[in-house]
Amino acid sequence: MKLSVRLAAVAAVLVTAACAPQTSGNSTSGKDEQSGTLRVWLFQEVNNKPKEQVVQSVVDSFEKAHEGTEVTVEYIPVETRAQRIKAAFNDPASAPDVIEYGNTDTAGYVKDGGLEDVTKDFTSWSEAKDTDPTAKQSVTVDGKIYGAPYFVGVRALYYRTDVFDQLGLDVPKSQAELIETAQRIRAAEPDLYGLVVGGAYTYGAMPFIWANGGELATGKGGSYAAAIDTPDAQKGITAYTSLFGDDNCPAAKCAGMTGNDTITAFASGKAGMAIGGDFSHQAVEAGAVKGKYAVVPLPGVEPGSIAPAFAGGNNIGVLKSTAHRTLAVDLMKRLASKQTQGELFDAMGFLPTFTDVRGQVAEREPFVKPFVQTLAADTKFVPASPAWAQIDSSLVLPTMFQEIVSGKKGVAAAAGDAAQKMDDAFGSAG
Amino acid sequence: MNLFRGIVRRPWRTAAEAAALLIAAVVAFPLYWMVLSAFKPAGEIESTTPRPWTPAPTLDSFRRVFGQQEFGRYFVNSLVVACTVVVVSALIAFLAATAVTRFRFRFRTTLLIMFLVAQMVPVEALTIPLFFLMRDFGQLNTLGSLILPHIAFSLPFAIWMLRGFVKAVPEALEEAAYIDGASRARFLWQILFPLVFPGLVATSVFSFISAWNDFLFAKSFIISDASQSTLPMALLVFYKPEEPDWGGVMAASTVMTIPVLVFFVLVQRRLVSGLGGAVKD
Amino acid sequence: MPWLYLAPALVVIGGLLVYPVYQLGLISFLEYTQAQVSGGEPTSFQGFGNYARLFGDEQFWQVLLATVLFAAACVVSTLAAGCALAVLLTRVRAVPRLALMLAALGAWATPAVTGSTVWLLLFDPDFGPVNRILGLGDHSWTYGRFSAFFLVLLEVVWCSFPFVMVTVYAGIRAVPTEVLEAAALDGASQWRIWRSVLAPMLRPILVIVTIQSVIWDFKVFTQIYVMTNGGGIAGQNLVLNVYAYQQAFASSQYSLGSAIGVVMLLILLAVTLVYLRLLRRQGEEL
Repeated sequence: MKLSVRLAAVAAVLVTAACAPQTSGNSTSGKDEQSGTLRVWLFQEVNNKPKEQVVQSVVDSFEKAHEGTEVTVEYIPVETRAQRIKAAFNDPASAPDVIEYGNTDTAGYVKDGGLEDVTKDFTSWSEAKDTDPTAKQSVTVDGKIYGAPYFVGVRALYYRTDVFDQLGLDVPKSQAELIETAQRIRAAEPDLYGLVVGGAYTYGAMPFIWANGGELATGKGGSYAAAIDTPDAQKGITAYTSLFGDDNCPAAKCAGMTGNDTITAFASGKAGMAIGGDFSHQAVEAGAVKGKYAVVPLPGVEPGSIAPAFAGGNNIGVLKSTAHRTLAVDLMKRLASKQTQGELFDAMGFLPTFTDVRGQVAEREPFVKPFVQTLAADTKFVPASPAWAQIDSSLVLPTMFQEIVSGKKGVAAAAGDAAQKMDDAFGSAG
Repeated sequence: MNLFRGIVRRPWRTAAEAAALLIAAVVAFPLYWMVLSAFKPAGEIESTTPRPWTPAPTLDSFRRVFGQQEFGRYFVNSLVVACTVVVVSALIAFLAATAVTRFRFRFRTTLLIMFLVAQMVPVEALTIPLFFLMRDFGQLNTLGSLILPHIAFSLPFAIWMLRGFVKAVPEALEEAAYIDGASRARFLWQILFPLVFPGLVATSVFSFISAWNDFLFAKSFIISDASQSTLPMALLVFYKPEEPDWGGVMAASTVMTIPVLVFFVLVQRRLVSGLGGAVKD
Repeated sequence: MPWLYLAPALVVIGGLLVYPVYQLGLISFLEYTQAQVSGGEPTSFQGFGNYARLFGDEQFWQVLLATVLFAAACVVSTLAAGCALAVLLTRVRAVPRLALMLAALGAWATPAVTGSTVWLLLFDPDFGPVNRILGLGDHSWTYGRFSAFFLVLLEVVWCSFPFVMVTVYAGIRAVPTEVLEAAALDGASQWRIWRSVLAPMLRPILVIVTIQSVIWDFKVFTQIYVMTNGGGIAGQNLVLNVYAYQQAFASSQYSLGSAIGVVMLLILLAVTLVYLRLLRRQGEEL
């Protein structure tokens, strides 16, 4: 004890001395210039050209509308976003004015003090009233709005039409039917997984928890509490983990799978069904099952219902450090406007966040119908807490599923442990 | 030139050569698979019937790699960073290795161990202090922010490595040189330097590869100026969570690996030509 | 005089390695997350709070044990393969030597993320050729704890033996030829030549190769992260660096991450010192 006190004293002296680890100053610039250069960071897609064209036309009209402004757009690889955006918070001189960011990162960036509160601007924006509520929730932390939704991504059930025809199966209408159908496919075609699932595929598992009335966590604003161990949530966990077994998707192979692994298995013709996103379309089209599959919303517990899905996607936000707040907010609105989102859908297939625009594109492109239906039914979002980054990166939920399917723990024990870890994270992240 | 020429009997040499070729094939197989995957059309990389060839080779993946914004610029930047690191760290390390080998002084061992210390902690932990250091030097968003840390991280190994080579040069050679009237500088650069060259080759391969393949510094310190970015960033584009493009990954990696092999073929002649024999002169 | 030669190295290393490590130690006693870094919240002194949290986590100890054992296995395999192949290189003519050198260099040069991805593809139960060649059906290599560690070990050895091989080979090249010829003429066996002639002369090089391998393999990250998808089924393949990333760095908890870094530093330093002490006891001067 004595030693630690002395060490503590030494360290305290060192900290107060000039050699303390550095921090950046207050990051608000306080300025609101009406001309100059605005910097924008957008994510670089593998096939980026069509996105660049859409963005360029937005930039052109923006520069025309605001004399003396110039916009430079930089496309950053998604894999580097964490370091880049943190670095931008740390060095306002290098920071952009407007960024695209993943919607599960919202709460973390707000806590880091990086995003500008645009509540007033968003609510007074004429187009905002058509924003779908879940998308709005994904830019909201503690009742304040920190950006404009850019596009959404949602998952539904992909199934093999040829396998279903051959075995005389009907498209499942409820969760019980889904599980039964999966087992029948596997029984008839032992080389196929019935419904391919993954122990590390959190977003594929969430609908099962939500459909059974469970939640990941409950609460509002800063204080969340884990709800993953409630009886309803456990029912959902049981349903999902029952799919891992030799009668559907053997644990030895499926316990470690990620969402992408399950899509790969489906695309290569190894599975009768899979839970995939609208963004998985291209990968499936490039695979062996092209022309032999269809998509429907993932069924819920009640026959005919749709399981609530996770609404992923990206947002556009303004950085706190911007010296052009008014201009940056205007650029944000233009980048996330109804017109731009419609064009982005045509160029990249990104689903619009406005319900009316989404309805229009579903008319044009029948493929997106099941996804739009899913979005219209019910979607949910991860807890809007900075702790989510910690829960996500320390693999709390995949560990829970894997403990159950590998037989290391029972559902109640694994869910209890996961809830404990989540509460620790909520507690320490405040 | 064979070191053991005349000593190794023929059947043994044949067996050794067969083993070398077999091992080379096994070691190269994953590389072959990488290149092969780069040429496979989308959807064939993960097919339930893996084939060691592809019926329909395509350049699509390479097109996606080269079609990226400023790809050529990235390439040049990577080359500048790696070459600067190799040359500067080799020179600094050569001097330092001479110092710790040819002189005895207090704290010599402590110093040697201290050189290694920074490599023992996770690099992520060091990027925060390094970030602020680079910011204060005004090096953020410049190639300098990559070159400086890489020199620092490749030095400890280079110094330790060259130590062994400097040590192998007999003291008598140094004395003889001074008796012949050579200055200290002349001995250092014209006699000692060529003698430790095989060691320099090995260390330069090491520092070249670690600078060439670095992701972490590049994504932490090159924040807002894409024109200062390096090749690994062009590879990371294809690692999109949820929808990775394996063809693009393999093609980009193939493109990244080739310059290293070229660099190696350029320097390996010096490694193999056996400067070791020169010591006896 | 030596300090003049050392000056450039000391400036670079002092400024860019030692100073950051000092900062790291400092940070490990603070509450220091992204919110503090960007100035959103004030830093506060935590004493040993971060260390207490770390040592109180039962998982940390399991991960530490796994890391030590896995790293030891990797170091031994890498050194054995690298040294054996370096000696083999001296026995063969130019063509096989160049073939092996180039293959090894290619393995070394492949970015770790790609190498791990390719190995995973090769051993994939559904899509990989290895199971077909070995007739293993759809055996999953990543499900069992040991088989997953073994697969990662293979990849680690694949990408790190070239470093050992090239370095040791360069060392052998620098050994004067007549020393080896004399030994061979005395009728010494290959093993004896290695043991009594080469190994002592290569000692300084072997020392650094060993220390570097220990440092790298103890800190292995990418291979585990990619090949076992972030630590294996229910975290069974976690190693310390991946653990540090998931618990701390990914969510910007730099103080906790720094504490883990300091612990790793102390362990590696201890291993290095013990190793050097053992060498010195054998009468080997550094």
